[in-house]
Formats: sequence, C-alpha cells, structure tokens
Amino acid sequence: MHNHVRELRGEQSWSQADLAERLDVSRQTVNAIETGKYDPSLPLAFKIAKLFGRPIESIFDPGSST
Amino acid sequence: MRAVHKRYLREFIPAMLAYVALILLFGTLGPKTEGMAWRVLLALLPLLPVALVIRAIVRVIRDQDELERRIDLEAIAIAAMSTGFGYFSFGLLLSAGVGWEVGADAVAIWVMPCLFASFGVAKLRVARRYRSHA
Repeated sequence: MHNHVRELRGEQSWSQADLAERLDVSRQTVNAIETGKYDPSLPLAFKIAKLFGRPIESIFDPGSST
Repeated sequence: MRAVHKRYLREFIPAMLAYVALILLFGTLGPKTEGMAWRVLLALLPLLPVALVIRAIVRVIRDQDELERRIDLEAIAIAAMSTGFGYFSFGLLLSAGVGWEVGADAVAIWVMPCLFASFGVAKLRVARRYRSHA
C-alpha cells in the first residue's frame, strides 16, 4: 500500500523519531510504514491521519503498492 | 530507547543475574547435598527467576507497538517450530540407536536455551525484512 507519510512528515520538518514519539511507536515502525514494508493497523492509520489533520484516504492509497 | 524497553531491561537483567547465581549455586552445592529435599529445592530455585524472565517477555510483547509485536510473535513461532523440529529429529535419531551418550536431564534442560537462542536468530531475520535504509 502506497502512502504519503514521508512527505507529510517532511512538511512538518519532523524527523522519524519526532513522528514516532507523537504516535507512540518506535522509529523502526515509522520507517517501515514510510517505505511500504509494513501497512499499519486501522487504529494506527487513523492516529496518523488525525495527527496530520487529513482524511485517511488522502494519506493511504490501497490501490497501489511501493 | 522507549520506556517499554527500558522497563523490560529493568525486569530482565536482575532476573537473569539471579538465574545465573542460582544455577551456579545448584551446580556447586547440588552434588554435595545429601538430603533429597534440599537437592530438589536447589534444583528448583532457578525456576523463580526464569518465571520472572517469562513475565518480562510477556509484558514487553504486550506493551510494545504493533510492528515490534508482530516481529516478536513471528520470531517466537519460528523459534518454537525450529526447536520442536530439532528436538523431534534428535529424538528419532536416538530411537534409531545413534550412539550418542546424552542424559535425559541434559536434553530437558537445554530446551529453553535452544528456544531462546533460536528466537534471537529468528528475530534478527524477521526484523531485517521490515528494515530499510531508504
């Protein structure tokens, strides 16, 4: 599943560690999500959407893969 | 290091140190101890810190994030299957009369160390699948 987490994080000038802390996950998890190696659970995906203030479907695109 | 892993180390390290101390105590005093009750007590004492180690592992798996939990659970599944497969193969070879002189106590005692060692190897491999330098 493709996602825009890296671009959105970049817009906020956050490091992976900053985002991980805000989501209460490890930096490894943020990295795996950004690189498409791991698709987050629905609760985590909603948490990411809420943090960036965007609808979930504008961040995660199930139609394509990385 | 995240708080959940700091707590894990705070629980795991003292328990492992206690385990090593009690296993050394058993190894030193066990053969010299006459009474069966005392020998049994010395033999079973190391199980207390092992129970604390298991508790620490269960707590860290429960409280870490979803990817970390997935990696650990996959690694545990691989380790359990590998250890079971290894022990089963070993048992069949012993049944076939392969002339290894192995005591039943040694075989049983090494189950957990084999499980932990194979978990460590499996975790490295599983975690690598989710890692990227991109």
